[in-house]
Amino acid sequence: MNLAPLVLYAAAFVAYAWHFARRNAIVGRTATTLLVFAALAHTFVIGMQTMEIGHVPVAGPASAISTFVWLLGLAYLYTEMTTDERAMGVFILPLLVALQSIPALRPGVEDRAAVLQGPLFGVHVSSLLFAYASFALACVIGVTYVLLFKEIKAKHLGFFYARLPSLQVLDRMNQVAVVVGWIFLTIGIAAGTLWAAQARGGYGLDPRVQRMSLQDPKIFVALICWVVYSFELFAARRIGWGGRRAAYLSALGFAIVLLNFVPISYFSTNSHSF
Amino acid sequence: MHLLLIGISHRTAPVDLRERVDFAARGIPATLESLTSRRSTQEAIVISTCNRAEIYVACDDPVATRRDLASFISDFHGVALSDIAPHIYDLEDLAAARHLFRVAAGLDSLVVGEPQILGQVKEAHAAATAAQTAGPLLNRVFHASFAAGKRVRTETALGSGAVSIGYAAVSLARKIFGELSGRTVVVVGAGEMGKLTALHMKSQGVHHVTIVSRTMAHAARSAEAIGGASAAPWDELDSVLAASDILITATGAPAPILTKAHIESVMRPRRNQPLFIIDIAMPRDVEPAAGEIEQVFLYNIDDLRATVRENLSRRENEVARAEAIVSEETDRFAVWFRSRGAVPTIVALRQRFETIRRAELDRLDFKLAALPPEARARVDEITHLIVEKLLLAPTEQLKAAGDADIVAVYAEALNRLFVLGEGEAPMSDARRVEPFTRHRQRPQR
Repeated sequence: MNLAPLVLYAAAFVAYAWHFARRNAIVGRTATTLLVFAALAHTFVIGMQTMEIGHVPVAGPASAISTFVWLLGLAYLYTEMTTDERAMGVFILPLLVALQSIPALRPGVEDRAAVLQGPLFGVHVSSLLFAYASFALACVIGVTYVLLFKEIKAKHLGFFYARLPSLQVLDRMNQVAVVVGWIFLTIGIAAGTLWAAQARGGYGLDPRVQRMSLQDPKIFVALICWVVYSFELFAARRIGWGGRRAAYLSALGFAIVLLNFVPISYFSTNSHSF
Repeated sequence: MHLLLIGISHRTAPVDLRERVDFAARGIPATLESLTSRRSTQEAIVISTCNRAEIYVACDDPVATRRDLASFISDFHGVALSDIAPHIYDLEDLAAARHLFRVAAGLDSLVVGEPQILGQVKEAHAAATAAQTAGPLLNRVFHASFAAGKRVRTETALGSGAVSIGYAAVSLARKIFGELSGRTVVVVGAGEMGKLTALHMKSQGVHHVTIVSRTMAHAARSAEAIGGASAAPWDELDSVLAASDILITATGAPAPILTKAHIESVMRPRRNQPLFIIDIAMPRDVEPAAGEIEQVFLYNIDDLRATVRENLSRRENEVARAEAIVSEETDRFAVWFRSRGAVPTIVALRQRFETIRRAELDRLDFKLAALPPEARARVDEITHLIVEKLLLAPTEQLKAAGDADIVAVYAEALNRLFVLGEGEAPMSDARRVEPFTRHRQRPQR
């Protein structure tokens, strides 16, 4: 079922790449239209799964990734429409296609373990997914910032110079994405901590709940993320680390997020293996 | 009816001659009025820019009109015909149309792909429309040229990239800062170059310009010349720099006046906000190593020249694609242009049929007299409809023929079959066929 959005995301990627290379307005509009259809198809898929299991499918790694891709697609579409800037699509779409291929190739919805109940759990998961989508945007914006920065510094005004918005705009977009992501990351971690404390009372026998501590890789790495992004925000405001340094930090932060989101979720974690 | 172009441009004449035949200086409406008062032209549009003076007209006799227009330029500007004659070029029909499309696309410009020319072509057409000197032929060819110009602009990169030092600097500033409206500029040095660059920045909407010079009086004079700028003494340079986004240096100092360490020291109070330094002084005012500082973008005059050269060579690569678009648009225009040759035949054919219909109705009038008026009106209507239906297919076929030779053959056949040349036809046979035969003889340029 996750295959239809994957195909549409891939088609949209081709259109975005074509638009980026040739800067044809019609191709650009086609790319956006394809992405809108992909997001609609994805919304439908997630809606169907929600009806099937009675809650938003976020419990297992594959469903969480699918929901994350859906949120990132929507967040990117929102950014494109508010800034009227399509150049970023060619950088975001490969990420969407790569991540979406995981749930598309591992079909089915993981059942939610009985322990995963309550409003705090919902807040925990949805906040973190939204935070990660924001960080993904920040990372892509940061990468494009660095590409443009290098061209201007090297005094070789070429491919990216002709296609990307100004450094100032990219820097500001990066800042906004990081602030939004940081707020949701903080909410998500706080909600998770509270939920774990409650769960220890109710489902104390589940070994996974017992292992929810800083020794668990998933929780530990999530906190590292929080530290990295907190430092980025602090540095930008207090010691003038805007521009390229902020862009690098956004890229570093999201690399850690991805590490946490895919390999650690599948292989290393003891507490979050639902 | 022929399309004729006669003109002088940067390709054929030096600037002092172009200045002497500047139509814009004398007023385009006056030019058009004076032009159409001569009997040789029915429609006229004048394009006048600093690089070209071109007259486009619709006329019946290109040879005579060409002569007349050359003497018009000579009379109107009071320049001896022998002075301008070697520099005048003229083109006819499709060659003239192609030339106009190339002009509108920026292919014939001094700086290939420069963006103003399309607007200037549109203004020339608007002026002629206002003066009522643009007719069906010129309207058609000018609208086609707008389409060609727009296609070249959107489908090729012919007009992309700054090709002057000033625009290269502004385009870089925009890529670094986005909008320039809230930005402040400081100019070090009160010389002419610095002043010009500051004026250029000001015209692009920067918030404020400050001039700093070793001699306060010079700075104040420069600031006044720019208008809305302020002057600051030399020892305030650091504090002014701390609050500025763009620094233009243009002093005559023999050695760098701003070292890397100096710039580094002002970056701290700026909290590392980006600083764009344009060093247009020769020898350089800013130590090149200053460009290594994280948020400093340092461009000297040679760097700007290099980007301009790069953009120019990139434009050169787009010329072939732009020429292909111009050819396509010329072909499209040619279909319409050649089908116009069929119009006199179509008119004659229609008149012939209508005359026969009228004659028959008159002949049968005594028989129809008994009918009530409504029935007679109905007979008139039905016969009219029959004539229209009979003529519909031949009219469409003639218009769609496209090729001038085929049109001429069709016209000749119709002339003979329907005896169009005699009596009631509006034009004599010889005169109607003449344009086609002449067209065939003249090779297209």
